[in-house]
Amino acid sequence: MNARRLRTLVRREVNATLRDPFTLGVLIAVPLVALLLFGFILSTKVEDMRIGVYDASRSSASRRLIADLAASDSFRPRRFETGEAIERALVRGEIGAGLVIPADFERSLLRATAGGAPPELRVLYDGAEAVLAGNAEAFFAGIARATGAQLVASDVTARRLAGAGAGSPAPGGGVGVVTRALFNPSFEGTPFMVAGTFGFVLSFLTTLLTAVSIVNERQAGTFDQLQLTPASTLEILLGKLLPLGAVFAFDVVLMVIAAGLFMGVWPQGSALLFIAISAFYVVFSLSLGLIFSATSATAAEAVQKTVLSSIPTIQLSGFAFPIRSMPLPIQWFTELIPATHYIRVSRAIYLRGAGVAELLPELAILVLFGAFLLGIALRTLERRA
Amino acid sequence: MKLTGVNRFVSNVLAMAYREATVMRHDKAFMAVVTVQPLMMLLLFGGALSNEPANIPWAVLDHSRTQISRQLVSEIESTGYFLRPRAVTSQAEGEALLLRGTALAFVVIPSELRRDTLRGRPEVQLLLDGADPLNAARVGGIIRSVASRFDPSGRGNARAKLVARAGVLDVRGRFWFNSTLRDRDFFLATLAGMLLTNLCLSVTSLGLVGERESGTYEQTLSLPTTPLEIVLGKLLPYVAVSYGVLAFAIVGAGLIFGVWPVGSWLAMAVITLPFVLASLAIGVLVSALANSSAQAVFITVFFIMPSFVLSGVMLPYQLMPDGVRQIGGLLPLRWYQIGLRRVVSRGGGLDDIVVPILALCAIFAGLLLLIRWRLKPRLG
Amino acid sequence: MADPIILARGLSKRFGDFTAVDAIDLEVERGVIFAFLGANGSGKSTTIRMLIGLLTPSAGTIVLDGIDVGLHPRQVRERIGYMGQKVSLYAGLTLRQNVEFYAGLYGIEAGDLERRWGAVRERFDLAQAEHERPENLPAGVRQRAGLALSTLHAPRVLFLDEPTAGVDVESRGLFWELIQDASDEGVTVFVTTHFLEEADYCDRVAFIDAGRLIADSTPEGLRARYSSGYRIEASLAAGSRERVLAELGRAGFVAEAQGDQLVARIPALDSEGLRRLSLVLGPEAAASVRIEQASMNDVFRRLIREGAALAAPAAGAAT
Repeated sequence: MNARRLRTLVRREVNATLRDPFTLGVLIAVPLVALLLFGFILSTKVEDMRIGVYDASRSSASRRLIADLAASDSFRPRRFETGEAIERALVRGEIGAGLVIPADFERSLLRATAGGAPPELRVLYDGAEAVLAGNAEAFFAGIARATGAQLVASDVTARRLAGAGAGSPAPGGGVGVVTRALFNPSFEGTPFMVAGTFGFVLSFLTTLLTAVSIVNERQAGTFDQLQLTPASTLEILLGKLLPLGAVFAFDVVLMVIAAGLFMGVWPQGSALLFIAISAFYVVFSLSLGLIFSATSATAAEAVQKTVLSSIPTIQLSGFAFPIRSMPLPIQWFTELIPATHYIRVSRAIYLRGAGVAELLPELAILVLFGAFLLGIALRTLERRA
Repeated sequence: MKLTGVNRFVSNVLAMAYREATVMRHDKAFMAVVTVQPLMMLLLFGGALSNEPANIPWAVLDHSRTQISRQLVSEIESTGYFLRPRAVTSQAEGEALLLRGTALAFVVIPSELRRDTLRGRPEVQLLLDGADPLNAARVGGIIRSVASRFDPSGRGNARAKLVARAGVLDVRGRFWFNSTLRDRDFFLATLAGMLLTNLCLSVTSLGLVGERESGTYEQTLSLPTTPLEIVLGKLLPYVAVSYGVLAFAIVGAGLIFGVWPVGSWLAMAVITLPFVLASLAIGVLVSALANSSAQAVFITVFFIMPSFVLSGVMLPYQLMPDGVRQIGGLLPLRWYQIGLRRVVSRGGGLDDIVVPILALCAIFAGLLLLIRWRLKPRLG
Repeated sequence: MADPIILARGLSKRFGDFTAVDAIDLEVERGVIFAFLGANGSGKSTTIRMLIGLLTPSAGTIVLDGIDVGLHPRQVRERIGYMGQKVSLYAGLTLRQNVEFYAGLYGIEAGDLERRWGAVRERFDLAQAEHERPENLPAGVRQRAGLALSTLHAPRVLFLDEPTAGVDVESRGLFWELIQDASDEGVTVFVTTHFLEEADYCDRVAFIDAGRLIADSTPEGLRARYSSGYRIEASLAAGSRERVLAELGRAGFVAEAQGDQLVARIPALDSEGLRRLSLVLGPEAAASVRIEQASMNDVFRRLIREGAALAAPAAGAAT
């Protein structure tokens, strides 16, 4: 391998990449937007959720409950005059959930302290909005428990459609649970999603950008010319990987800083380690992009290949959906996806502060995958039809 | 014989549509998108992806080792979300499992459990891996709710005992995950929306720009057609294909996963039209604004991402903060998924989706204006 | 032929069911300009890509300057220069930056590069274009720049694939002058083109049609074989008719008189023949001579019509 040839190739690639304002724009905007979208919006913290409240009791206890709800950041209660009005608003999507306080609320509360059955607070939710319901109930349950009431859940839609009955919990002594989280005590979703977003960006954006690069060169005729020079295939490959890798490494740094400054999410572990591992991981997606590029006739075809292969790999990598929830055979399959391992490493560093020692097995797998993909990229570029 | 007015309009549009359809048929990349992607997403969202906890690994440190503690553990396990618990012999061992991510929850049962139960206020300790916060929070809630219903003394009403012994979580007992209400249904209801967004955005973005590069655009402009006719003619075949994809999404979800729409099929068909037109129009607009086909492809691919997130197909839009939620209202997919959910999951009919249909029509009209403004009848 | 610089035997390329190139034999002598003519889609570009090692043949061998291209593709790279149909200059870089890029890849040291590029720039008249980007240059200048680049590392063989496509007539002429300059310095030039007329600039011409070689000869040889050759018109001096016709007939012309106009045909006409002609005609009539040579188009059409399958003459045949 010739150092001068490699330097020449690298310098040209850097020039070309940095010269294109569109590419630069994409490189900066997309990761930041992804961070915002996934880290900020998708991290399902219930905030300002509009709920409807029908207070049949109008007692001081019920008013106190409503005031508690309003005081929390989670809810914005809106009064309704009837239960049916709540249901209508629910179906129209104006409110996320409804709460019905029964007429005998205060009296039942007093009786409960003397040993009687606790009053029932009825929560109305829309069965068609599973995620909404799940989150709402979590918070309702907490507040209801605090008042000593029992929560009764009612799926408005299910009832309308099938006349299913409302649920009711079994009363009983019950066991208290003192809960503590080993990391992330407030169960913040944001760091989790931010760490995963790195995986998304470094898998998808990188592959996409590189997929277009060789195709463009082939169409312009410069790739042929390149293959006729004394430069070896390995030099040509590295001449693309190294500069693009550096550019994306810079992108990673940008994202780490942005996540920290704008979202308050800094890695618990070593940021340097994280950046180094990410820079190495970038090699994968770049190799993959080059493989797609070398086997496509037009930029559109290369992009389609990238998109088609990215959809399952991203969805299955544990980025947004937990791997454990997938059927077992698919779980095994996800181990074959490099992104899965990278996202695990990313989350381990960001949320658990893991160091090289803990990450060794995952890193070894990444190295293996990397070598394998590089080999294939080399072979694909070498091919002369 | 010269055609006049409406006749000529229609004939021009049909001619352009026919040409576009022929090109489409021979485009391998496009056919792959139309056939492979829908199947893949159907299988993914119906079969693999879900937010429900499952196969949760957990550890138990049982200092008590009485019948009561074993019963508590078995009740937690029988909720069906958990794997067999791993018994550890020390606090450190359990925490190490959490640290490595091998366990998500670690329950520590104190030796005084039996005594505390008799006294009326038993307590256990739960340690969660917050590094997986979404799952951890839910799992914590599940364990807490099992614990709060735990009634080893047999006191409490008969129905509760039945529920506890049955092991399989009763519909009525589950706050969090009603068995009639699964994530899968949540996603499959709007699968058509996701597929069509992918299709419409990533395909028409190539149409106009590809033509400009290959030179056929000049040729098209030299025909006696107005820009409106050009645009409509291009869109028509894709509308037809979109209905095919819609049919696939509905029938596929029904046949493979048993998720059939509850409401009116007609309503679904009606609302699909303005949605597809609006999405296609976005693609056309992007391709008119982009400088090269690579650029157009990029822009649309990265428009799909926020589309999915902000529209409410992955996460309810009601949960989004003010401002962000309104921005999502500009997306066609937002109104489409609102309409779809009303029809598919809530059994709505045409009268329930009037507002979404109107919103989609308004968006489409606005886009047409923008396109008309950009697609001048001359080049540059 | 002793020591041809390009030697191809049985060269074939199949894409699935379609045979693009069918068992071609080629021998190219050192230092010649070898034209490889054919219509679009005839297999020209496929052949040239095989010769330079960009495409793997389905069958056959290629030996370039003594090196087997199939076994040692990388070794030939230093010795060959290539200019493809799309001139491979990087957009966004100036011509000068392109030169430095390729120089880096060919291992041309800085000082050496100054010298070489200086000479090339001068010869190819690229001084004004040096700091422009290729996309801002007219097609003719771009082609010249492409040719210039391909000679930078002093290759022994130049492969030019349709170098004058899309270029105006004037620039084309200039281009061929540059090619002939290169040839004069001993560089072998292998050119494909679909401008049949350009064959007359070359030492040797091969025709390819539907993947098969249907002729391989000098331009003169082809004209002699596949056309009615040269058509000469001249005015006849009074009373010279019988004499001129008789002498021309003896010299191999087919001549006839039309009034006081002479119309003669001859398959091949070299400078010796021209001298003989003017002697026979006499000084006055010689001044009025008009010579038409058969166009390469006609030659080609006749070639195809005669359905000549493979005509790869051994060295020395067909003049």
